[in-house]
Amino acid sequence: MKKPSLIRNLLLSLLIPCTVFLVLEMIAFAKGVRLFANADSWKLFFRAVANVTLTTFALSINLDSGRFDFSLGAVSMLSATVAGTLAQQWSIGPWLTLIVAIAVAALLGLVHGGVYVLTRIPPIIVSLGMALFFEGCAFAYTGGKGVSLVTRTDIIGFSRIGNYILVTVIAVSLIVLLFDYTRFGADYRALLSGQKIAVETGIREVGNALGCYAVSGALMGVVGFISLANTGSQQMSLNFGSIGIMFTAFLPMFIGGWIGRYINKRVGIMLGAVSMALISLAYARFDTASSVQSIISALLLVLFLIYLNNEYAILSRFRKKQEIKE
Amino acid sequence: MKNLKRTLSMALCLILMLTLTCVPAMAAGSVKIGVLVSDATSSEALAFRAYYTEYIAKAYDVEFIYSDELTDAAGEKSSIENFIVNNCKAVISFSSFDRPAQIEQCDAAGIYYAVATGTLTDEQYEEYKDYEYYVGAIGPSMDIEFQTGYDMAAYYIDQGVTRFGMFGGGVPYYVDMHIYRAAGMLTAMVEKGGEGANYKGADNAGAIIGQIYADGGIDTGKIGNLELVAYVGGYDFNDAWFGKLAQMVGTEGIEAIITVGSGVDVLGGFVAGSGVKLATVDSFTPAMGEAMDSGILDYMAGKFAASIGPIFAATYDAIQGSPIRDSEGCALALGQGFWVATDSEQFQQYSAVDSSNTDPAYTREILDQYAAPGVSFEDFAAFVSQYSFDEIVTLKK
Repeated sequence: MKKPSLIRNLLLSLLIPCTVFLVLEMIAFAKGVRLFANADSWKLFFRAVANVTLTTFALSINLDSGRFDFSLGAVSMLSATVAGTLAQQWSIGPWLTLIVAIAVAALLGLVHGGVYVLTRIPPIIVSLGMALFFEGCAFAYTGGKGVSLVTRTDIIGFSRIGNYILVTVIAVSLIVLLFDYTRFGADYRALLSGQKIAVETGIREVGNALGCYAVSGALMGVVGFISLANTGSQQMSLNFGSIGIMFTAFLPMFIGGWIGRYINKRVGIMLGAVSMALISLAYARFDTASSVQSIISALLLVLFLIYLNNEYAILSRFRKKQEIKE
Repeated sequence: MKNLKRTLSMALCLILMLTLTCVPAMAAGSVKIGVLVSDATSSEALAFRAYYTEYIAKAYDVEFIYSDELTDAAGEKSSIENFIVNNCKAVISFSSFDRPAQIEQCDAAGIYYAVATGTLTDEQYEEYKDYEYYVGAIGPSMDIEFQTGYDMAAYYIDQGVTRFGMFGGGVPYYVDMHIYRAAGMLTAMVEKGGEGANYKGADNAGAIIGQIYADGGIDTGKIGNLELVAYVGGYDFNDAWFGKLAQMVGTEGIEAIITVGSGVDVLGGFVAGSGVKLATVDSFTPAMGEAMDSGILDYMAGKFAASIGPIFAATYDAIQGSPIRDSEGCALALGQGFWVATDSEQFQQYSAVDSSNTDPAYTREILDQYAAPGVSFEDFAAFVSQYSFDEIVTLKK
């Protein structure tokens, strides 16, 4: 059997982000706008890469196992709220605040997972309940005032390109390590491919599910902190106001799945996030109205899903045409 | 049959639970007033709520029942139904998705209805001013909103600022008060921008307001010798939107960013250390005070928490059977403006009065003079018109 070459795989992995970049560059050229005009553009791009990569990991870890999670935004908000409040009260620096946010978010993820494994209620229902619960907790914790750290220059100063790259690289490395090179990851993959058989072979599905929720939570803790450091404030949301963040992760998740055929799936997700970050940058640089952004993002998602669902038919038709020509 | 029994048992349990939860609630305050809110989380909304629940409720033995954070007219309708079931005697509304429907619903149920921190449009007022159960509206009229924006922009133009950024908040969603504030800012720029200055050809307030409503946004460009160099609207809270805000602060030569609201919350992190002046409409919270102390916030126009005291007094009068009506028997329609702080000392002075739960701007002693039977419309209108900080301090004396 012919082994696919490394270069071919690498090229196919980069196909989507490179195509997105080229298309956007052409639009930018036509509009007379530079996509990466200044340091702010680069900052936006790398922040979006970090946010979308981490959110997509957090979503896909559980969604791949059939556990839909609406509470990601609420976990991010509550962990940033707690960490931000403690940063204010104890005057702790940005890195320690980040660690607190991660710890709190992991704990919240564990609580969420605990409720799920104890009650055995469908995960989508549990996640809706937990989203409301966490939103309510954040509101009650601050009396609805949220957190304002606009005067904390050390925490706002975290918003640097270097830090975004560092956070993304560490997160991708740890996720690859955890899910591809540890017993936990092997169990996770075994449960994905056949839960019944995996459990019968001695894999502890409850422990694995709890671990997934905790990791997913920890990732959202980082997202929450990035958002807090970016604006210097954490606003409160109620009545599912926080769930919007998870929808940013769908397209990169599907793109990541496609790229994952040619390269490690987690790296594929990051490349999907790079594509989304480029689109976000373009929205900002082209001053695109939010309604137009929503339409474009939805269209891209739908078109990509249509392609994925009909990929075999599309490719075989394409190949037939090639053969006829030859 | 078994299912029927089960259903009946559950219904009985539900009724019992409702009865048990209602009895102590009814005992908690002799008069119940429902409060409709479409914003439960902003600092301004929290300050209003604290004034009602932590000061007025204790001072007047009144119980305020708050709605959830409403997002549409259907939510308003079901909340009012809930208030009616809970035996509320009046509804004070901070929610404006469908004010006519709210008034009609309350009137049909025979409970009083009042608008807080807002006003009806002229057409709506003409329609409902004679309704028996419509108490009226006290708050910044659209003229006052316009003037607030005008004063903010004029403040900087008079200081020699020529290159502005603007945050339009709810302008893309057609939030009237934000459109009027933005129109006020642009009008100030047109009037003070030298000969021939105009905004997209519009050179007066009416035309500018019309232009914003037509566009659903604001365009950047030169306005005479002044320039609007950047504009961001909406509350998208996504990466692209944050990118636009950062870009605005980083725009070459930008001197001041004037915002129709939430300026510190959305722009504070970007403005810090940039040297760009930031002006906003918000409330006198400690967080805003810190922002002003640190130089992030330069100018703030704010509604004070107790500004909703007079509408409570008018509603209370109506509940007691003595509604305040003008000489023609019409409901109240009174304007009330903002306090403006341009330095830290002034801010702290306002904040000290505004944030007090024991000695707020409008205390019981002041309100008692107007939350009593027989108050004339003229006296009440004169009282509401004295909303400036100095006037209120004089009233307190």
